Amino acid sequence: MASSRTGSSVWSVPPASTDAWYVYGVVPKGTSPDVFANAGAEIELVETGELTAVASRVPLEEYGAEALEANVKHPEWLEEKVNAHNAVLAAGVGVTTVLPFRFGAIYRDEEQVRGMLTKRPELRDALARLDGAVELGVKALLDPEVLRARLAHDRGLDAEVGSGRAYMLWKQLERELDEEVRSFAGSCADESHERLAAAADDARVNPAQHPSVAGGEMLLNGAYLVRSDRDAAFRDVLRELQARYGDDGVTYELTGPWPPYNFVGDEEQA
Amino acid sequence: MRSSTGGGGPAQLADVLERVLDKGIVIAGDIQVNLLDIELLTIRLRLLIASADKAREMGIDWWEGDPFLGRGQKNGELEDRLKRLERAAGID
Repeated sequence: MASSRTGSSVWSVPPASTDAWYVYGVVPKGTSPDVFANAGAEIELVETGELTAVASRVPLEEYGAEALEANVKHPEWLEEKVNAHNAVLAAGVGVTTVLPFRFGAIYRDEEQVRGMLTKRPELRDALARLDGAVELGVKALLDPEVLRARLAHDRGLDAEVGSGRAYMLWKQLERELDEEVRSFAGSCADESHERLAAAADDARVNPAQHPSVAGGEMLLNGAYLVRSDRDAAFRDVLRELQARYGDDGVTYELTGPWPPYNFVGDEEQA
Repeated sequence: MRSSTGGGGPAQLADVLERVLDKGIVIAGDIQVNLLDIELLTIRLRLLIASADKAREMGIDWWEGDPFLGRGQKNGELEDRLKRLERAAGID
């Protein structure tokens, strides 16, 4: 932390305290530090009552209020920290129950972390509710050209454009195909989500990602809370969907298991 | 069916960003991240992720070619633009 430009003393924290505590999330009490041994960061476990905060000491020169405000404006910095945040929590997934915090829960010292844990008994309920569950992401991507080729083929219309009349017919077909592709996209997304949600303990639909990010037209960006005893059945549903819609140009992508980021909002929010 | 559990790529990064910045338990610590800044980034992410089609229909494509958007822009300008886009795209 830089000293004051005016020369007057403006230390708002004791000089000895050059670290802050960054909290990634919460796990049940008694969780072994070994869980986070390969998480890519030095982890401090702060245990109070039934809860254990997963934290790291971070330098104030990077995470102090002013520095942080500047740092979060840099996408490269934020990307790195966000990836690190996720990597730490991911280390606990499947090993213990993980309550993921959103980026940016930062405390002055260990006591403040303990204070947060004691003030939030609802975290205990969330741990119980999410016991043994992970989040799986499913994205359905459509290659519209594959679908269009198939739809055209079904009509016996692979023919090349020739005469002016053929051109007019072709333009009309194009419009019809556009309509069919849109209609297919909607019904495929709905059915996929309904079937996956039925196989899961809870489900969320998130906004589709941009094609340049997603690598195709995203029909579905779903998050599913799946308990370990339902994991195999959930994956079976996904395989069935792939078998059914693969020839239409749809590719399903499974991500995770993730900490249940999508299932700790609302009721636990500050 | 594809599976991805980690390792780079814009899709993977988008998956992580949308979770860590936009989901998860919100707890106000001792040091407050300027939520405006985080929200700004989240909005940038949302624009990139969610509303590109709508925005493109309106002829707005300034994010194209730079997946992280408006890097060289002045902050106020960017915020103004985002506000206009948010209204237009119906993001609250």
